[in-house]
Amino acid sequence: MSPLIWSLLITSLATSTIITMSSHHWLLAWVGLELNTLSILPVIIKSHHPRATEAATKYFLIQAAAAALILLASTLNAWQTGHWSIMHTSAHTTTIITLAILLKLGIAPMHGWYPEVLQGSTMNTALIISTWQKLAPLTLLYLINNNPPTNILLLMGVISALAGGWIGLNQTQTRKIMAFSSIAHMGWLIITLNLSLHLTTTTMMIYMITTTAMFMSLNTTTTKTMTDMGMAWTQSPPLTTMMMITLMSLGGLPPLTGFTPKWLILNNLCHMNLLFPTIILAMASLPSLFFYIRLAYFTTLTTPPNTTNTHHKWRFKPPLIAGLTPATSLAALLLPLMPMMIS
Amino acid sequence: MLKILLATAMLIPTALLIKPKHLFTTTSAYAMLITFLMLKWFEQPLNHKPHSTNTLMMLDNITTPLTTMSAWILPLMIIASQHHLVTEPVNRKRMFLATCATLQTTLIMTFTTTDLTMFYIMFEMTLVPTLILITRWGSQAERLNAGMYFLFYTLTGSLPLLIAILHLYVSNGHTTMLLLAMQNTLTPNMTMIMWLACMMAFMVKMPLYGLHLWLPKAHVEAPIAGSMILAAVLLKLGGYGIIRMIPLAPQMTQTMYFPFIVLSLWGMIMTSLICLRQTDLKSIIAYSSVSHMGLVIAATLINTPWSTAGAMILMIAHGLTSSLLFCLANTNYERTHTRTLLLTQGLLFILPLMTMWWLVASLMNMALPPTINLLGELMILSSLFNWNTTTIILTATTTLITATYSLYIFITTQRGTPLPNKVLTPTHTREHLLMTLHLVPLTLLITNPALMF
Repeated sequence: MSPLIWSLLITSLATSTIITMSSHHWLLAWVGLELNTLSILPVIIKSHHPRATEAATKYFLIQAAAAALILLASTLNAWQTGHWSIMHTSAHTTTIITLAILLKLGIAPMHGWYPEVLQGSTMNTALIISTWQKLAPLTLLYLINNNPPTNILLLMGVISALAGGWIGLNQTQTRKIMAFSSIAHMGWLIITLNLSLHLTTTTMMIYMITTTAMFMSLNTTTTKTMTDMGMAWTQSPPLTTMMMITLMSLGGLPPLTGFTPKWLILNNLCHMNLLFPTIILAMASLPSLFFYIRLAYFTTLTTPPNTTNTHHKWRFKPPLIAGLTPATSLAALLLPLMPMMIS
Repeated sequence: MLKILLATAMLIPTALLIKPKHLFTTTSAYAMLITFLMLKWFEQPLNHKPHSTNTLMMLDNITTPLTTMSAWILPLMIIASQHHLVTEPVNRKRMFLATCATLQTTLIMTFTTTDLTMFYIMFEMTLVPTLILITRWGSQAERLNAGMYFLFYTLTGSLPLLIAILHLYVSNGHTTMLLLAMQNTLTPNMTMIMWLACMMAFMVKMPLYGLHLWLPKAHVEAPIAGSMILAAVLLKLGGYGIIRMIPLAPQMTQTMYFPFIVLSLWGMIMTSLICLRQTDLKSIIAYSSVSHMGLVIAATLINTPWSTAGAMILMIAHGLTSSLLFCLANTNYERTHTRTLLLTQGLLFILPLMTMWWLVASLMNMALPPTINLLGELMILSSLFNWNTTTIILTATTTLITATYSLYIFITTQRGTPLPNKVLTPTHTREHLLMTLHLVPLTLLITNPALMF
């Protein structure tokens, strides 16, 4: 792909998200979402692999369907209320829009497309899909937060946290594992929409930091399956150690960064006296932790008996990405800074 | 307080940066020095109120002995692991020592903190270095399974504790242990669930019979340092937690403790009987830990001054004794490369001086006078007897079986005929030093047991 087109795509990817974020007119928000989908499609399909084509098709269909649903609901809203303002959406249309956005975010039970798309795209594209592409839909959820469908958000959040952990147990490919990890984290995230929007921002930031750190590490070591992960230590032992810590952070083990959102969300749920969802959510983090720990076993804690072609790979300078060091250190050590993040 | 904590925390960079030649000597000497500095904490009479307090930490008669014991175990772990690490490259040795130092730092913070939320975070933080010790430094493939058991048993038990602590925070606006004990603000209908949520984490950690399956696996698969710290300190986190949690709901404890005391007393008999039919040396010591901890659970739950003091004494005594037994088992393992009892017979003829350590350790384990093990068991037995006379049937039977399996370990390892075709290296001074350093506090503490409660 020529650099000109590439930079055009990346720019429009960034711009379209910002258009959606800053709009207060439903039509403009919809345009932003559609532009966003259209600019990521060539990025997914770039590798010309049949799986990439499949991923791009699936992504397009799902995002277009969700966007169409949003357009329908906002038209209905305009019909009923006579204006297109995002802030003043009536209760019924809010429900439809919320469901459409949850489809865009890949919340269970509408998550089927998400692992397939991630598995079909390259590691960097998967990183973009699971972080930056979440921002635009999420902002719309922020904006319609004056009368959110609380039951739907809570229920689907809990289902998503459970399903993400449960189905992820069965996976062996790192991108799919990351997809299910993302589904589980998104479950926690949309529950925070009922609690406090500050908390949503914090959770989203921490989700993005930990996921970025993990995808960057996987990209640096070119780890596509769990078997590859067993060989990652030949490239850079310190990096695999940090990968182990990042995985534990994703799993939410105290005192790593990943514990922060879990702690705050459980605290807020306790505050609202929602004891039952609190317990289910807390327990839902255990299956996810299981597959993270299983991955962590492959990073540093065991060295599988594979043969290596070159047993001193780390003597060569590994191609370290500039953002890797800050990302992994933030993914490990952010918990003590929590009071500054939340307020 | 900080001079100990920061010094311990600085052991991590010390282990990572010091010259390879001085790696083990410096870290163990440094860790020992910290332990000696810590002895100053005993200067205050322990039966007085908390001292050396700041906004986050305090020292009192429960914290001080346990913290000092965990600090004492750290240099011993380093000494004990030297043979295990001798073939490793220097970077891995550094990482091992750094992991041990991290574990020690978190343990000090767990024991000294006054805030329940902080306590929870530190309690969980001890899991990560221990998991690394078990799964990275263990030697067999089953260690991964053992690591999973260890992590998930503990986490499943402690997530309800987190929710209970958050609930306390929401209803009180703070989670300071000392103030919560004074306020006692648990709502009546919630108290039962809250009590269970608070206690289960520690019951799993202790472990209570029935929730103990992770412990033998973890002990068998862990390297020597992991076994030592697990037996000596991590199990005591459970006892510490119970002692700290009971003042939050004293009335509730009176109605809720029956199933737990029954299970712990019955578990003592069952696990001691299991000890008699084990073939694996480390597994016997692990089950013996479960048995002794049953006594501690019962004693902490009935919560009389005598029983709590007895539980503290037994925790210290058992910590040092089981750590000593694991060290002895490891010296055998390093020579024979097996833990199977039948294959390690007749060591008396090959390592005669080691037999003396085995004898002393077995006698300590079966609580012979004048050891602190006996003192602790006597105090617990008599307070349990005072609570309910029939408990003496269970506790006395356990004492009998404990003596039996301690002798069983001693006789099967030391007597009999050694297997032919085994060339065993003689014992090292390092190993004798290790045993001595375990035995010195065990034997000297009987002269002043008040240091322990």
